[in-house]
Amino acid sequence: MKIFKSIKWRLQLWYGLILVVVLAGFGFTAFQLERGQVFRGIDDELNRRADILGATLHHPPRREDRPPPDQLPEDQFPPMLQENRAPHAFHLRPEDEILFGSNDPHNFYFKIISLRNQNDEIAKSTNQPPNEPMNETHFPQPENSFSPFPNRFAKPAPRTFAHYHAILKILPSGEMIEVGCSISNELEEIRNDAIMLTLIGGVILLIGLAGGWWFVGRSLKPISEISLAAVKISAGDLSQRINVAEAESELGQLAAVLNSTFARLEAAFAQQQQFTSDAAHELRTPVSVILTQTQTALNREREAADYKQTIEACQRAAQRMRKLIESLLALARLDAGQEILKRLRFDFSKTISDCIELVKPIADERGVKIFTELSPLEIVGDSERLAQVVTNLLTNAIQYNHDEGEVRVKLEPANGLAILIITDTGHGIPPEDLSRVFERFYRADKSRSSGNAGLGLAISKAIVEAHGGMIEAASEEMVGTIFTVRMPF
Amino acid sequence: MRILIVEDEPDLLASLAQALREEGYAVDTADNGDDGLFNAEGTDYDAIILDVMLPGLDGWEMLKRLRKTKKTPVLMLTARDQTRDRVKGLDTGADDYVVKPFDLAEIFARLRALIRRSANKTTNEIEIGDVKIDTAARQVFFKNKIMEITAREYALVEFLALHRGEVVTRTQLYEHLFDENESSLSNLLDVHVSNVRKKLGAEFIVTRRGHGYCIEGKPPTIGGTNYPNPKII
Repeated sequence: MKIFKSIKWRLQLWYGLILVVVLAGFGFTAFQLERGQVFRGIDDELNRRADILGATLHHPPRREDRPPPDQLPEDQFPPMLQENRAPHAFHLRPEDEILFGSNDPHNFYFKIISLRNQNDEIAKSTNQPPNEPMNETHFPQPENSFSPFPNRFAKPAPRTFAHYHAILKILPSGEMIEVGCSISNELEEIRNDAIMLTLIGGVILLIGLAGGWWFVGRSLKPISEISLAAVKISAGDLSQRINVAEAESELGQLAAVLNSTFARLEAAFAQQQQFTSDAAHELRTPVSVILTQTQTALNREREAADYKQTIEACQRAAQRMRKLIESLLALARLDAGQEILKRLRFDFSKTISDCIELVKPIADERGVKIFTELSPLEIVGDSERLAQVVTNLLTNAIQYNHDEGEVRVKLEPANGLAILIITDTGHGIPPEDLSRVFERFYRADKSRSSGNAGLGLAISKAIVEAHGGMIEAASEEMVGTIFTVRMPF
Repeated sequence: MRILIVEDEPDLLASLAQALREEGYAVDTADNGDDGLFNAEGTDYDAIILDVMLPGLDGWEMLKRLRKTKKTPVLMLTARDQTRDRVKGLDTGADDYVVKPFDLAEIFARLRALIRRSANKTTNEIEIGDVKIDTAARQVFFKNKIMEITAREYALVEFLALHRGEVVTRTQLYEHLFDENESSLSNLLDVHVSNVRKKLGAEFIVTRRGHGYCIEGKPPTIGGTNYPNPKII
């Protein structure tokens, strides 16, 4: 069931269950206490009457104490007293007669039986309860009959039947006294108490559940906000953030963590988007060249030389696209960590010398002089990839130099690192651009006349970092630029 | 019609210029923003094709400066296809916007539209008596018969037709029909005019001595080839 998977419902369920158990426990205890008190009161009353009966049995009132029967009005004569046995006529004292009879709603009754004489009834009140089911098991066990203390009453045993409650008492002299009364009022009172307790418990339970529902809902509200924001983000709106109202709570902290994750996601997506759009942008120009060249050529019949020109222009455009695609692929592989770099020990200074040989023709073309100061230094890494980095840095140093400028290349060990410094005497990079030179597709001059897509330094950076190294640039306008590569060895 | 192309990619610049010359336009070129601005301010071009990414002044900056002095129609070329770039281009004062890579046919059509609009025409057809000019097909009909006509002659007819009722000076004609590299022999224009008269009737182009040339008559105002129809969209 879905409803039991919801945290809100599960919390509510457990909470409700605990509340019910606690309330039931309290209610039951209160009920038992109340009930016990009521029955203790009744037992006290019954005991008092049993004592009086016992006393009366053994010390009958003197005859003169009793009003002559004829002097009494008919209705005042205690009707419940019947003397069954003449020899020991049983008479209640007049002041005690009020204790029994149906004029009291409790309808106190008594019965005295002689256990020695075949359970003969000695006396009983007229208001006996109906169907009194009494048998031997109800009889209290007499205390030790040979007890040296006579006249001690045996322990009274209470019993409850129908709407009556009675106690039995056995006197050492062999009589059993049963005193009982109707407890329908008390039972009703107890029942009312039980209903009251149940009602109060129910109301408390409802209030508790409602409060719990509200409180759980309130505590879980941030979660629904979080999931709402997450849904919007998964739908593509990366600018969504979770509204963090309670920054201190656990959910607030979670929201803050998620927000920073979302921010990083958005930045990464934006970067990716920028990269894709830049890549597409770089491809547009060569494609335009090919389209325009071919469409112009095909507009009419032309000389062979014209076609040759067109094909050459298309070839240049295609070369440019190939270079761009290779750069993009290299970057993508480096990004994904798929580029498997060789880990071989090689002489870095030798690699640098080779690179300088390679770029010498370009330098000569512009009259740029290259000065070297290379300490032999072995490092571990991919010499081909690092040669690419060095060539790229050297080409930049020559291209962005003045004619007849200088390029200085220095390799030295320091602090366990191989440090390569390439200094040029070129135009320099403006400070606002310096931090961006390693960005993809970043070009200080916005045109594409140089034929570079602006990926060279980005690739160099990726390669150096894949080796665990660092690359940085420092520049002063109109003085020159210094690129420093630090490689572990 | 004389056009300036400002574009820094040499192969693209060369082929665009060639294609437009073959369409009968007089074409000047510049490969950076500073030269482009210098040319654009010095000559009354019928249209300018302007790339956005340029060394020196970029396309937007060049356009902004040009708009202080000239109303020349400008068609921007760019590799940026995002809306904000297009909005920026149009807001800066560009009249149209083409995203690379483009088809030549589209560039031609947009150029024709730009020139037509700047001459307050709404259709590609101009009718003058027995002569009908289709500026889209670059063809001239005389008594409903298609006439063989050279690109330069067509350009002359079209320019005069777009300025019908006005006297067009020889200098204006030179400026709009020949680019900066052509040595404008002074009688070259007369040769073209004479050829056109042979094909379309002697009275088609009237010579105003000491002033220039003219196609006479007010363009019809009813039927709406003169001013743009006030279209309510």
